Amino acid sequence: MTELLAQTGLNALYAASYISLVAVGLVLIFGVMGVVNFAHGELFMAGAYAIVALYADIGVPFLAAVAAGLVFVGGLGLLMERALFRPLRDNPLGGLVASIGFLMILQALAVMGFGVRMEHIPPPTQDVIVLSEKVRLPVSRLVVIVSAVLLLSALWYFLKRTRFGWALRASAQDPEAAALQGISINQTARIAMFIGAALAGVAGALTAPLVSVNPHMGHSVIVTAFIVIIVGGVGSLEGAVVASVLYAFVHTIVTTFYDGVVADIVGLSLLLGVLVVRPTGLFGTADRA
Amino acid sequence: MLLEMQGVSVSYGKVSAITDVSIKVPEKGVVTIIGANGAGKSTTLRAISGLARARTGEIRFDGERIDRLPPDRIVARGVVHVPEGRRIFPEMTVEENLHTGAFLRRGAPDVATDLEKVYARFPRLLERRHQLAKTMSGGEQQMLAIGRALMAKPRLLLMDEPSMGLAPVIVEEIGRIVEEISAEGVPVVLVEQNAELALELADYAYVLETGRVSLEGPAPELHGNEHVRAAYLGV
Ligand SMILES: Nc1ncnc2c1ncn2[C@@H]1O[C@H](COP(=O)(O)OP(=O)(O)O)[C@@H](O)[C@H]1O
Ligand SMILES: [Mg+2]
Repeated sequence: MTELLAQTGLNALYAASYISLVAVGLVLIFGVMGVVNFAHGELFMAGAYAIVALYADIGVPFLAAVAAGLVFVGGLGLLMERALFRPLRDNPLGGLVASIGFLMILQALAVMGFGVRMEHIPPPTQDVIVLSEKVRLPVSRLVVIVSAVLLLSALWYFLKRTRFGWALRASAQDPEAAALQGISINQTARIAMFIGAALAGVAGALTAPLVSVNPHMGHSVIVTAFIVIIVGGVGSLEGAVVASVLYAFVHTIVTTFYDGVVADIVGLSLLLGVLVVRPTGLFGTADRA
Repeated sequence: MLLEMQGVSVSYGKVSAITDVSIKVPEKGVVTIIGANGAGKSTTLRAISGLARARTGEIRFDGERIDRLPPDRIVARGVVHVPEGRRIFPEMTVEENLHTGAFLRRGAPDVATDLEKVYARFPRLLERRHQLAKTMSGGEQQMLAIGRALMAKPRLLLMDEPSMGLAPVIVEEIGRIVEEISAEGVPVVLVEQNAELALELADYAYVLETGRVSLEGPAPELHGNEHVRAAYLGV
C-alpha cells in the first residue's frame, strides 16, 4: 500500500512539474500584460514539435533540442507580443481573440508540417531508477521534475532579486506607476511573453517523448488557464506563481488518485472557494484599473 | 525656463479635460497649480509625464520637445512624477519600491548613497524597509512615494496632492519636505486642493478652473487676491 502511494506520488510529481511550467507562464503573461493567452497550449505543442523535428528526425542530442525548443517557442512569444498584443494593448478582448487566431494558425502549421498522426518519440534514455520492487522512476521523468524545479527556482530568483524582475512585478501591480519609474511597458511585455512562452515550450519539449505528440495536444491547457488565472488573481506576480504551482499539484494528485473529471471538479470548487473568500484571488490585492 | 508648456489641450474621448494650458517652471523654486476637484490639475501633470497625450500645443523640457515621448523616456530625462493617490507597489517591500524608483540608474554607485539619504530623511522607511508597502499607513505611503521619486535623481519633481487624506501633522511634514527638496535645488510643481498649504510653499501659482488657467501670479499676490480668497481659501 505505501508502495502504491509512493509510486502514485511520483507520477503526480512528474505531471505537476510540467503543468506548473505551463501554468506559471500563463499567469506571468496575464499578470504583466492583462491578456489571457489562449494560444498557450499551442506553445506547449510547438515545444513538443521542436523535439520531433530536431531530436527524432535529425538526431540533435535531446537536451540541446530542448534548449532549442525553449528559444524557438520564446521567440514565438516575442512574435505574439509584437504582432498581436502590442497593437491591441488597450483592448484586452481583442488580445484574447487574436490569441485564438494564433492558436489556429499554429495548429494548422503543425498539421501541414507533420500531419495529424500521433508522433511517438523514443525516449532519450530507457534507464529506470528502481527505488523498490514496485516503486520505479524512469530517468526521462526525473529529467522533467529536475528541470521544472531548476526553471521555477531561476524564475523565482529573477522576480525577487533582479532589476527586471522587480520591473515585471511592478508592472503587474500598477502598470501606470511602473511607467512613471522609467519602466518601459513594451520591454516588460516582451520579457513576460518570452519567459511565459519559453516555459510552455520547454514543458512541451521535455514531455514530448513521454506523451503522444499531435497538433491538438494543447487543447486541455485552456481549462487550466482559466482556473490558475482566477485562483492566482491579479496583483502579486509571485503569489500567482505560487498559486499556479499549488493548483497544478492539487489537480494532478487528484487525477492520479481518482480521475481527471473529479480533478476538474475539485479545481473548479477550489476556484469557487477562492472567489467567495478572496474575490481578488488567493494572493491578489489591487484591481486592475 | 526648465519646463515650458504651451497651449496644451488634453481630452479623454470626447470629454475635454484641459484646454490651452500654458505653464512655465523656472530652474528653481516651487510652482503650484491649485483648483477645485475636476479642474484638470492631475491631467496637466499627466500630460507632462507622458501618461496623457497633448492633443494640441507643445511641452518642452530643457528646450527639447517631450510631448511625444513615452513616459519612460520622459523619466529618463529627469522629470519624475509622484502620482495622485501615491500609487506605491503594494506587494513589494519598502526597499523594493525604492529600488524601483532607481530603475533607470542601473547599478550606478551613487544609488546606495541615495538610498541612505532617503532613509535618513524618512527614518520610518528604514524601520520598515522589509515590510510590504501595503501594510503602511497613508502618511508612510506618501513618504515612500516621495522617497521612490527621489531615488530617480529628479531634475524636476511633479507632485500630485501629496497632502490628500493625511492628518494635519503629516501635512505639515510634507510641506517641510517640499521646501527641503526645493532648497536642495530640485524645482517642484506642486498640485494641491489644499490652497492654503500650496500658496504658502510656492513661489509662483496657477489657478485652474474647468480646464483653463484662470489666474496666475506670484504666490503671495494670489494669496491676497479677492477671488482666490473667496473660492479657495474660504475667507
Ligand atoms: N480617465 C478619465 N476618463 C475620462 N475623463 C477623465 C479621466 N480623468 C479625468 N477626467 C476628467 O477630466 C477632468 C479633469 O480631471 P483631473 O485632471 O483629474 O482634475 P483634478 O486633478 O483637478 O481633480 C474632469 O472633468 C474629469 O472628470
Ligand atoms: Mg487630481
